[in-house]
Order: sequence, then structure tokens, then C-alpha cells
Amino acid sequence: MEQRLRSKTRALLEQGKVDWIIGFEPGSLKFTTTPLITKDKNDTDRLVINPFIVNNLANFLTQVKGRVGIVVKGCDSRSVVSLIQDNKVAREDLVILGIPCTGVIDLSKIEKLVGKDRDELNDIAREGDKVIIRVNGKKKEFPTTQTLFDNCLACELPTPQEYDILLGEPSSPIANPAAQEGIKKLKQMTPEQRWIFWEGELSRCIRCYACRNVCPACFCQRCFVEETEPQWVFPAPRWQDNLIFQITRNIHVAGRCTDCGECERACPVNIPLRSLTREMYDIVGELFQFKAGMDKDAPPLMTHYEEKEAEDFFR
Amino acid sequence: MKQKADWEPRLAGFLCKWCSYAGADLAGTSRKKYPANIRIIKVPCSGRVDPLFILKALRLGFDGVVVSGCHPGDCHYQTGNYRARRRVAITKRFLEYLGVEPQRIQASWVSASEAGKFAEVVTEVTRGLKEVGPNQLFTERQGDGAKTEKQD
Repeated sequence: MEQRLRSKTRALLEQGKVDWIIGFEPGSLKFTTTPLITKDKNDTDRLVINPFIVNNLANFLTQVKGRVGIVVKGCDSRSVVSLIQDNKVAREDLVILGIPCTGVIDLSKIEKLVGKDRDELNDIAREGDKVIIRVNGKKKEFPTTQTLFDNCLACELPTPQEYDILLGEPSSPIANPAAQEGIKKLKQMTPEQRWIFWEGELSRCIRCYACRNVCPACFCQRCFVEETEPQWVFPAPRWQDNLIFQITRNIHVAGRCTDCGECERACPVNIPLRSLTREMYDIVGELFQFKAGMDKDAPPLMTHYEEKEAEDFFR
Repeated sequence: MKQKADWEPRLAGFLCKWCSYAGADLAGTSRKKYPANIRIIKVPCSGRVDPLFILKALRLGFDGVVVSGCHPGDCHYQTGNYRARRRVAITKRFLEYLGVEPQRIQASWVSASEAGKFAEVVTEVTRGLKEVGPNQLFTERQGDGAKTEKQD
């Protein structure tokens, strides 16, 4: 798969079909990858596909000019489609190289399972539905359902929805109901308990805006939090304003969010942001039968309407 | 939740210029009775109501928010109220998930001739807000590092 990706991307650059290639290369730390954005065909030899390709590269699409060849997983492809729906990029300027995704490994889960720091591990490999870890010459096996990111466990469409070249056979969803337990637990709380839960979580927020910057659906030139006239979000570090930021961010990305989980991973203080984004994803699905990034010709959710819908909210 | 005996809810109303605002006007001129708890803000169209308006009103301590516009199909700008409907629906559902009482946000369709309906909506929302009590969602609690406001 990796070899095929390298030769395809090299050919695309050589034939001048694209100006840029956006993919993954090995990161400077063990078991990490980092985005590779390049114009140089020799760089394509560094491209990798492994269980650690965590980032949603669709975020970079709006930041480069020209035609782009982009490597996407299932969720990323939907982010790309949703950018096409919003007229942020044109489909004909893209060559989408789809990876049938089998889930991305969450290193912090592995560290917990093995009880060792990631630097001490010799190797992590996927084999079928098992993850094999080698430490000090010993072999340890874990089921993949214990080692993947929560959003990968909740993923419905691991195979890219839109692609020009699919690298490999379509993959099937892992669908583990345990992945939604956090949200289920929240829903069982009383409204007051829930509010206090969010107060606790969001008082940690340092408003670094990493969640916003990493999000491919957050593409506004100027974000409402930086508005001063009127000032929607007070700059003093209060949890109330942190919450307003998160609520509004979720409303803004409703119908664009594909539950890729990047915001939660980017958060330096580990706020469970996916419990917010996932709920909005489900609300949009339930009220408007809308799934983000499925159909590039469909109008974006909030610019469209049906004559009869959501009527029970109005009197 | 402790509350003063003479506490009255404060209600922010975003009314569309063409229908609901005129409806509220008519309620006044035809001497319909409705609670004076609502503070009316005129907007050009219910489609002008950004979810941030609702959040800001709650953040500033309003106990509830009413968004009101023309009936579906009657929008002066053809589609503004349809768009408002989607926005208000997701905002309300999302805030309920976070723990905001559903009574705090109400949306309604009130035409320029429906003075009675306007009075009814305001009366009902005010009654609902009296049940759930003052909005203390965004008030400072003890121990969150910020200056605490004493609540009675």
C-alpha cells in the first residue's frame, strides 16, 4: 500500500497533475507521524501509511494554492467533501488518495495497557484484529478494540467516501458500542449535574484554540472569539466564556463535523471535546437526517431547509 | 434553588420586524394583557438571530430567550425563518444536552395579526421560567477562582 502511494504520488507530481502532495511522514518521535506537504517528487519516498496516521489533513487544503493530491482516511475524506460543499476547494483541483482505514492507535491507551512509556516500547504492529507490542524482547497481544481512539471505535465509514485512487480493499467498520459510553453516562445525569460536569471540564480550558486551529471545518478568516465589537467572548479566563466558545464552535461546525476527533486529541488539557462534537453530529442526524461530508453536490446543512422539519421546537 | 419571593423572570425577546414585532405592537394597541417580563429586541428577520445572541443573553443573566418570526412561508425575505428554524433547533437541543432547562429557550411563529398568540407565548414562557427559577447557569460559583457574586 505504501509503495503504491509513493509511486502514485511521484507520478502525479511528475506528470504535473498536482502542484502539492499532502500526506504523512514519520514523526521525530517514536510511533508518530507528521504531515508532509511538498512540491518535491523526491519527498514522496518519505510518505508512510501505518496505524499512527492520526491527523486530519483536510485542514491544510485551504492553506495551499493550486492543485493538490491529498492522502485521506475515511473521516478525512468526509471533511474534504464538506469543504467542497462549502466551496472552499474545487473537486477538480483535487486528487484524493483514499486509505481504507482500519483505525488509528491511541498511544496513551497503549501506555496504560502495557504500563510503560511509549519510548520504552520496541515495536507496535497491527495484525488482523490484534495489536502486537514488543517490549524488551517480550511479545504482548491486545485486541484492537482496546487500543484504538474512541472515535475510530465509533466510526461508521472507515472507507473514504470520495476518492480518485483507493489504496487497498475497502475496510469495514469496527463499531464498538463501548465507545459511546461517555456520552451515555452524561445523558443519564440530571441537567444540573451535567452543567456542573461541563463547568469542571471547561474551567481547565486555557483557550489556546488548538481545537479550532486543528479543525478542518473551522475555516473562518476571522473567528467570533476574536471579535471585539461586539465582544461575544470576554477575554478574562472564565469557564463560562470557555463554554460559550465551545458551544458556538459546535454550532458553527454542525453539519461539517465528521467526528474525526482531532479537537479532542489536540486539547492540551484533555477536555473530552468529542462528547460535544459527537452529540452535535447525532442531533444533526436525528433532526435533519444529515450526515456531514457524504455528498459533494448536496447543499451545506445550514444554508438549506425543508418546508416541514423541526416543527416541534416552535409554537 | 433559593429565590426571592418577589423574583420576576427577565426574558429577552428577539422579534422579527415584519411579523412578530408588529404582532407585539398590536397586542399593545389592542390592550391585550401579557407579563411585562419580556424585553423586546427588534431584528430585521428571525434569520438575523445568531445562536450567539441566545447564548449572550443567557450569559448576561436573562432567565429565558424567545425567538419569534413570521410563519413558515410568510418570511419577508422568503427563506429567513426556515434558516432560523434550523439554527434554533440545533441550539436548543445542544443546550439541553449541556444542561440548560428546555423552558429557557422558546421559539414561535407569530404573525402581525396574532396579538393574542404573542400574549399567550409570553405568558406561557414566563410561567415556565417561574417554575425553573432564576438563571444561575453562568453565575460565578464559589471556588472557581473568579470573584464570586453572592446569590440570595
